[in-house]
Amino acid sequence: MNRKIVIDPITRLEGHGKIDIFLNNEGDVDRAYFQVPELRGFEKFAQGRPSEDMPQITSRICGVCPTAHHMAATKALDDLYQVKPPSATKKLRELMYCLFFIEDHALHFYFLGGPDFVVGPDAPKTQRNILGVIGQAGLEVGKKVIGLRKEVRELMAYLGGKAIHPVMGLPGGVSKGIVEEDQPRFIDAADHAVEFSQMSLEIFHDVVLKNPRYVEWVTSETYTHKTYYMGMVDENNNVNFYEGRLRIVKPNGSEYCKFPPEKYLDYIAEHVEPWSYIKFCYLKEIGWKGFQEGMDSGVFAVAPLARLNAARGMAARSLRKRMTACFNSSVRNPFITL
Amino acid sequence: MVNIKAAFNWLASCGGCEEAIVDLHEELLNVVEAVDIVYWPCALDFKKEDVERMTDGEIDVSFINGAVRTSDEEETAVLLRRKSKYVIAFGSCAHLGGIPGMGNFISAKEILRNSYLESPSLNQNEMTPQVETRQPEGIVTLPRFCDSVRTLDQTIPVDYYLPGCPPPTRLIKEALRALLGGELPARGSVLAPDIAQCHECPRKVTKPDEFHITEWKRPHEAVIDPERCILAQGFLCLGPVTRCGCDSPCIKANMPCTGCIGPISQIKDYGAKAVAAIASLFDNREEHEIEATLDQIIDPAGTVYRYCLPASQLFQRLPGENKRHNEVCA
Repeated sequence: MNRKIVIDPITRLEGHGKIDIFLNNEGDVDRAYFQVPELRGFEKFAQGRPSEDMPQITSRICGVCPTAHHMAATKALDDLYQVKPPSATKKLRELMYCLFFIEDHALHFYFLGGPDFVVGPDAPKTQRNILGVIGQAGLEVGKKVIGLRKEVRELMAYLGGKAIHPVMGLPGGVSKGIVEEDQPRFIDAADHAVEFSQMSLEIFHDVVLKNPRYVEWVTSETYTHKTYYMGMVDENNNVNFYEGRLRIVKPNGSEYCKFPPEKYLDYIAEHVEPWSYIKFCYLKEIGWKGFQEGMDSGVFAVAPLARLNAARGMAARSLRKRMTACFNSSVRNPFITL
Repeated sequence: MVNIKAAFNWLASCGGCEEAIVDLHEELLNVVEAVDIVYWPCALDFKKEDVERMTDGEIDVSFINGAVRTSDEEETAVLLRRKSKYVIAFGSCAHLGGIPGMGNFISAKEILRNSYLESPSLNQNEMTPQVETRQPEGIVTLPRFCDSVRTLDQTIPVDYYLPGCPPPTRLIKEALRALLGGELPARGSVLAPDIAQCHECPRKVTKPDEFHITEWKRPHEAVIDPERCILAQGFLCLGPVTRCGCDSPCIKANMPCTGCIGPISQIKDYGAKAVAAIASLFDNREEHEIEATLDQIIDPAGTVYRYCLPASQLFQRLPGENKRHNEVCA
């Protein structure tokens, strides 16, 4: 009989998950099943509700990234009502979205995924968390993380009513603007966020890149997936978080296709497995070929790494320089082709 | 001083309640000074087996967010109840059913059919999730998807309720202070002021004594005056039947209250009370005029029961299979 290891629940990420790992007679991993053991049914119960309520209903898909769902639904309303938001609206939405990106990535780096690196994978489970990170990086860093998140979340609440489940989105518009005397708060926050990002990059550099064992791990075959990658890009194929076209690149980095988001059903389909409530997206034209990587499989990746792989680079010059420095250093994930 | 032991857990929810804890910001450092967090999947690596190993009543307080939809969520709620002295239903989903509670407008079968057999993005392999799947390596299991969404207190006994989607920072801080200071109110209390939203609304002074509504507007159909009572402008604001304690963030963002924090304690059925309140605002006299004005409210049931369908009397009286909580799975 094969031995089975169950990880229940998976921790330090938003969402419910469980992993069943089957070992063979030699004690090696035979197959692992990442399962999502829950379903709420938004796709169905959202039907029949007023369209303008979708930004507030769909944000409840995820309370860690409600801004993403809120904004996606708001932009769908622009399409539905065939309205082009005026320039000020676009800027307010983009500002909200960038604020969200800052705090959400800070959350991941310090609270969720990051502790594995900063505290270390061998640390006891009581320490692999934000408190362990503060213990390792120092209370000063901890206070900066908390301070920056607070500043950014308060500005999100300013624009969206609430940082968790914002209410600002309307077809072609937003419900609230910024009064002139409050504008410096946003400008200051942007400066603080840049400083904070630089500090975080230094921590990453010192803790991860200077540790040869980590570098060996993250560049090893085990941590490598050569799939298609999808991300949103602007007209120059640089990363854009708020609007643009979806670009998919092949595992070797060359462009596979580029399309406006509303055409997603022409490019992406979903596959169902009986052992998970989550559905698996794949590239429609290539088809579902199972959990395989490579050119012949329709499996593709999204989110930060994919976003960078799918783009030529960042629009901001300072970031472009930083990106090159990161990816040309000794951490050269084999699938990074930038 | 011995620290109290606390657990935070999510059931059918979105993680917003966890974020609300993280959004205590610097106060979070004080909390972890005074509280040993023994279970918090969103932020800490303890597993369910760690909770199972604890003695009964070992956890002083469990903050449980989310509604109950699957057999796994039910088991986790029962487990935490057994291990905890106090259970606090944290947030709208645990308190009243929340947004996932709208699933009770339809049957579990319809939800499963739509998600796995009818959605336009599917590759039509006619597969649906199963409680047990035989794979070459062994059997892989999933929890059951139950007939309906239940609130936490329809599943286990609950000691206190922290309302809101998510609970407002102010109320979380006050609850923690009461808990740590041993100054909790009577069991069963909702830990929030028991007065209507309008009472603390920043536009309170512009609320008319009498409303004369002849037409409802949707928030994108006209610009809402940022100073005046939103309801008086003809936009459906549920402030009059909703509890306060949130400092009216939606109204401050110039959008109507949608009632996420639930009713004040005298109201037995939030939606029914909201309908009665809406009916009292009309200026129309003729029946056909009243009907025409009512017709302007798109999806009335989904509007007044948006966060509280499982807790409502309406749901208890709905016919059909989605009312039961038997086990079903496609």
